[in-house]
Amino acid sequence: MSTRQSVEELVYRSCMLLDDRNFKGYLELCEPGFRYTISAHSPEIRKDMIWLQHDKKGMETLFTNLPRHNSDHSPITRHATVYSVEMDEANGQAKVVSALQVFKTTLDGGVTELFAVGKLYDTVSLNGGGPKLAERTVKLDTRMLGIGYHVPF
Amino acid sequence: MSRNAAQWTQKPKLPSTHYVDTRIYTDEQIFREEQEKIFNQCWIIACHESEVPNPYDYRTFNHPGGEPIFIMRGDDMKVRAFYNICPHRGNILLYDPVGNAKRVTCIFHAWSFDCKGSCTDISRGTEGYQNRLSKDDVGLREVRAEIGFGGFVWVNIDDGACTLKEYIGDALGLLEPTMEQPMEVFHYHKAIVNTNYKLWHDTNSEFYHDYMHYFNRITGMMQPGYFDRKYVGYPNGHASVGSMSIKYDAYDGGEQRGLGWPGLAPGGWILVDVFPGMTYNLRTSVMRIDTSIPLGPNKVMIEFRGLGLKSDTPEQRAERIRDHNTIWGPFGRNLHEDLLGVHGQGLAMREMTDSKWVIHGREESSTIHDEIGMRHFYAEWGRRMGRKAYDPMAESRPAAAA
Ligand code: FES
Ligand SMILES: [Fe+2]
Repeated sequence: MSTRQSVEELVYRSCMLLDDRNFKGYLELCEPGFRYTISAHSPEIRKDMIWLQHDKKGMETLFTNLPRHNSDHSPITRHATVYSVEMDEANGQAKVVSALQVFKTTLDGGVTELFAVGKLYDTVSLNGGGPKLAERTVKLDTRMLGIGYHVPF
Repeated sequence: MSRNAAQWTQKPKLPSTHYVDTRIYTDEQIFREEQEKIFNQCWIIACHESEVPNPYDYRTFNHPGGEPIFIMRGDDMKVRAFYNICPHRGNILLYDPVGNAKRVTCIFHAWSFDCKGSCTDISRGTEGYQNRLSKDDVGLREVRAEIGFGGFVWVNIDDGACTLKEYIGDALGLLEPTMEQPMEVFHYHKAIVNTNYKLWHDTNSEFYHDYMHYFNRITGMMQPGYFDRKYVGYPNGHASVGSMSIKYDAYDGGEQRGLGWPGLAPGGWILVDVFPGMTYNLRTSVMRIDTSIPLGPNKVMIEFRGLGLKSDTPEQRAERIRDHNTIWGPFGRNLHEDLLGVHGQGLAMREMTDSKWVIHGREESSTIHDEIGMRHFYAEWGRRMGRKAYDPMAESRPAAAA
């Protein structure tokens, strides 16, 4: 498999694992220094906002606490399309930009609606043993998320 | 024991101040009356002054009474509010939520207005109107606007209403020492939820629902001092809840809370509910402001703002943002739970569900789980509406004379 292919597969697997709420599996795709951010730009206040930010440990804590909270149990489905992979051989990294659409499906009746759109900006490390996520920033275009959601995109 | 149909509709065995008829949350007629008798007469937060920092900056606002409004800072630095409605053929004047416009020119037929609401140009005016209509006849409708209580821009549709200061009275007194420094909005998002606006305000007016929050159950309720906090009601339907210490380390992953907020005791929490649908919420290092904009009996748009200090260093701001979003952001632990709660009430209480009563009956010497905050709100609601929240359709008969 080419590096580009394995990088793409990493992005897609990260989506599938989170869709399945396989948090352990998701974290296994991440480097120890992993950083995760959800951001959005608010034209109303003319500012970039950070809506969620964690290191790997923070993500682990979040995942551990999730079942203890009251949450919307409607499953979500992440659709990613890798737009670009920019190799930085010297640093053993790739910068990856993917389009992201998140759909939410109600438990009762299974109605699916578009929940959010945005882009994934990933830094992938290529230092042997297959590509891993070093950093992921989800930049959301959608800012109206209704009652919100506890599981990161 | 479960109850049959007749028992289900029987009035709760509590004083009539301690429950409400759920039709106040679902009835279309009551909703229209609320827009007219409450929202169009009360002072409402439209935005924060930091959202219109420069001359000619504007910010649009959907007023809960229904009126589209824009706020504009004039060349004299005064902040004014106007209907966002063109006096010609009723077009919206400003389409974007924010911007900067020396002249507000309607895109339809290019009538122009200045920052004080005067019409400055009617295109081909004399040709079409001769002397029958002049620019002076078609100025914008100005809405009363005042800045206060933390630098918020308040508006009032009612030209005859009391001043903002009179309206608030002492209700925000607890927060006064914490609002001496200029603040700045760093977070803004909206949520539309199929529920009644009062149910959101109710959730912001009672802490009994800490049972819903895993985070609060373990960081607040189990700590000494939690049950000592008191509710205080103020004229015009406002209420405040005093400070308490919260032990953040009790939550796995909770960090040492270093930054805090000037005037707020470490670990403190101050919450003030302003009638009819605004809440100041100061905790850890962040001020949160909710503004409810009802869109129908069972639909509300809530605006959420997070504020820090204007003087924040980048590091301080980052910490405030982190504190805010962990709990109160769209992916935060508590906000989602709160919204899930009122969304569920909307599901159970919409018209024709045969929901009947909502009980606000807890009495615990006005302390944290007392439901006096909601009772205080509904007393004011009833006064302004000329309806009783427990009997909104005036159906109950006076007891027969002995
Ligand atoms: S509708 Fe605005 S100029 Fe005609
Ligand atoms: Fe809550």
